[in-house]
Amino acid sequence: MNFFTKKTCATASLLSLMAVLPNLLSAQNLTNEEILKPSADSWPTYHGDYSGRRHSRLTQITPQNVGGLSLAWAFQTNQAAQIKSSPLVVDGIMYFTVPDNIWAVDARSGHMLWHYNSPTAGGEHIGHRGVAMYKGWLYFVTPDAQLVSLDAKDGKVRWKKVVADVSKGYWSTMAPLVVGNHVIIGAAGDLDNLPGYIRSFDPDTGEVQWQWDSTPPAGTPNQTTGGTIWMTGTYDPDLNLVYFGTGNPTPVLSGTNRPGDDLYTCSIVALNPDTGKLVWGFSASPHDTHDWDAIEVPVLVDADFHGQPRKMLMQSSRNGYFFVLDRATGKSLLTAPFGPVNWTSGIDAQGRPIPNPAKEPAPDGRLIAPDEGGLTNYRSPSFDPKTGLFIVDAHPSWSIYFAKPADGQYGWAGADYGLWGKGVIEAIDYQTGKIRWSHEVGPNGSGAGVLTTDSGLTFTGDAHGNLLALATSDGKTLWHAGLGEAMQTSPITYMLDGRQYVVMGSGSVLFSWALPQTEVGGGVASGK
Amino acid sequence: MNRFRRIGLTSLAAALIVLQATQLSIYAASNGGRSGNPSAQQPGSTATGSPGTDSYTAHCATCHGENREGNPPTVPSLLGVKQRLTDQQITTLVHNGKGQMPAFPEVQQAELTALLRYLGTPAIATPKPEPAATASVPGSHVSGPSAAGGAIFAKDCGFCHGRDAMGGESGPDLTSSRLVRTDRGGDKISDVVLNGRIDKGMPAFKFSSEELLQIAAFIHAQEAAAAVVKKGGRRGVEVADLQTGNAEAGKQYFDGAGGCVKCHSATGDLAGIANRYEGLQLEERMLYPRGAKSQVTVKLPSGDKIAGVLAYQDEFTIGLRDSSGIYHSWETSQVKYVVDSPVDAHVELFSKYTDADIHNLMAYLQTMR
Repeated sequence: MNFFTKKTCATASLLSLMAVLPNLLSAQNLTNEEILKPSADSWPTYHGDYSGRRHSRLTQITPQNVGGLSLAWAFQTNQAAQIKSSPLVVDGIMYFTVPDNIWAVDARSGHMLWHYNSPTAGGEHIGHRGVAMYKGWLYFVTPDAQLVSLDAKDGKVRWKKVVADVSKGYWSTMAPLVVGNHVIIGAAGDLDNLPGYIRSFDPDTGEVQWQWDSTPPAGTPNQTTGGTIWMTGTYDPDLNLVYFGTGNPTPVLSGTNRPGDDLYTCSIVALNPDTGKLVWGFSASPHDTHDWDAIEVPVLVDADFHGQPRKMLMQSSRNGYFFVLDRATGKSLLTAPFGPVNWTSGIDAQGRPIPNPAKEPAPDGRLIAPDEGGLTNYRSPSFDPKTGLFIVDAHPSWSIYFAKPADGQYGWAGADYGLWGKGVIEAIDYQTGKIRWSHEVGPNGSGAGVLTTDSGLTFTGDAHGNLLALATSDGKTLWHAGLGEAMQTSPITYMLDGRQYVVMGSGSVLFSWALPQTEVGGGVASGK
Repeated sequence: MNRFRRIGLTSLAAALIVLQATQLSIYAASNGGRSGNPSAQQPGSTATGSPGTDSYTAHCATCHGENREGNPPTVPSLLGVKQRLTDQQITTLVHNGKGQMPAFPEVQQAELTALLRYLGTPAIATPKPEPAATASVPGSHVSGPSAAGGAIFAKDCGFCHGRDAMGGESGPDLTSSRLVRTDRGGDKISDVVLNGRIDKGMPAFKFSSEELLQIAAFIHAQEAAAAVVKKGGRRGVEVADLQTGNAEAGKQYFDGAGGCVKCHSATGDLAGIANRYEGLQLEERMLYPRGAKSQVTVKLPSGDKIAGVLAYQDEFTIGLRDSSGIYHSWETSQVKYVVDSPVDAHVELFSKYTDADIHNLMAYLQTMR
């Protein structure tokens, strides 16, 4: 609770300072302090802040006036790749990515300052989640698993370092997490039997500071590989712990050669960011055989739980369960499904789902809910402190899973086929796991993440390409705009010159929305 | 929210942005420039840190790209520039600049020679088979168009279909695909790649004709390799895999607990179904027939009713095709409507089936010949 209060004061004072001296803060030098306590004119990390709540204190756009939201600008990347990155905004400049590409654009107008484009042949070009920034430098990973440091002013490359060996089957997509003097990154790759790990790089020299391995080296008898880390974690500065979700074990659909829980795959882990040492780990899917990476955002919330103040970690996991943990110890507070789930035989004493052996992939097929994409995936959920609602883009779905001895023990080692799914925005009461309201967003699923604001608004998207503003209290639609393509990223918001912007990518275009200048008051906005 | 409910929400300022997506293919634009970066290049090409690359990095790379790929049409690619211009012409350009290109008179003598030599080195870009693209199919030798196709496949297709095209995350095994089996020189594969199969989750890709041929060549090479050896398994489902059920029990489920007879008949709509579909395809259609049509009846403010096949539905718009094939749509806030989706009965069953029910139903359906 203390953390909240301090943060509110800091934001409030920064806001008042902003009103008087908006331009004097421009320095293009993002400090640890600013990352720790982001100002209202910035979105300096993938999640907006270290908590991963994707919640903004901005209140200019309200349920009452959101109907007047209009297009401020759109940025056309002219790329075939869809935007899956969450933009950063620092000192009035926005940075966002698709594989091999970074753009720096003016966050007020959307006009381009520079474009970095360095095609790579190796690695998966499946998507890219965005850059990290520290001081005047950007940190960007490539499909062939390198970390590139660039000058934020002009996109010039300072150095490149190897995150993982692309020739073995690794690739990189994630936005790094900057904590103190560390740039923390993982690498993806579950088409091969590869161990997963997180590496910490020195932000200045690019030297590797530490590495934490989520699984033992490939070939260790009766041990799993996998557990790759491909989503940006979160950080608690008081406990000095970083939190990451880890990916699925390999071989993916066959568990016979990797008996037991397969630690630390499909897990939530807490590491010391200075040493890389594991402090605790929680297995969200012990012995997974359905590709349900537990990489979904570990959301950090300080609030009461059943009448007691708690430092919590919440995750809506791909396997269909909503977890609430004590984030100091990793102990379970709540485990509850948030949609159809049929692969477990119960919850164990530690709050972990117990996989039902009868629901492992089989030669003649097993009907499984959710499907391989999961009941949710990498797009961000949001936690709204006022209502206590954890709002997630859910994907109720059914599928059939197959595996037989002839499929071997390498890589996928089986086959699975989605049958049916739909998208539903769900508001989960974190104290009970009950769904307070739900809002259907179309067949197959939406793909849009969720942003909430202090004024009671929830921004997300539907499966048809409509950007939606919902009332956080009851999920009713207050505003929408057709963007032409389903969204594959999560919205952000920031305030510049007294005007609040909401930004969302759709297809290969980034859209920025704001209230008309005439409505937000001329005084601050004019003449800048 | 209930999809049948009237949605009475007013959108005060719905902004519909119609985008003419200028999908200039990045693949086409960087054709030949799709290179590894310098630290990942193959042996034989100029190494990072030579005077030529250093000079290029210092003066040219900012605009022409680290791998000389340029950014056409604004900034030309320098790959193969020595085939287009003489050393003297390049030197003049470097020293004097041209258009938006600044002059670099300071590049002289040894540095100039090194730069000119570097510009003559082959593109690092030469598409080479990804080590990983072929590694999983030992014994297969991949070269020529299929090697180039393998690089493209690994980059853009492998995540779903597996790097060896034998299936993976969400994408089917292409080496046992009927479409691939009947494809000749990319005639069928190209259509699927260019148009996607949006309803099944496969996006459309804008590849050049040459790239399409290369991709098709790679898939066929993998098809041949798969016939020999499949490391890591087939990742597909054979008809023989789906024969564990009991047809009599399936008939009982069909007639009883499953409620299938409410809509279907073994001698009516499903007569001969097993001749039309088999194996996995039959099972997928049995569990949820994609593309099944729904009917909608819309009641207009005037009181008139229009019925037809549901053509579009989101929260804000309802659209139908009438019996003459004409499309009509309305804002959902302006009309009342009722959608009739018999296919929803399949969704209701998901949470009720046992796996044995499914296998038994499969056995029963396979008797309908």
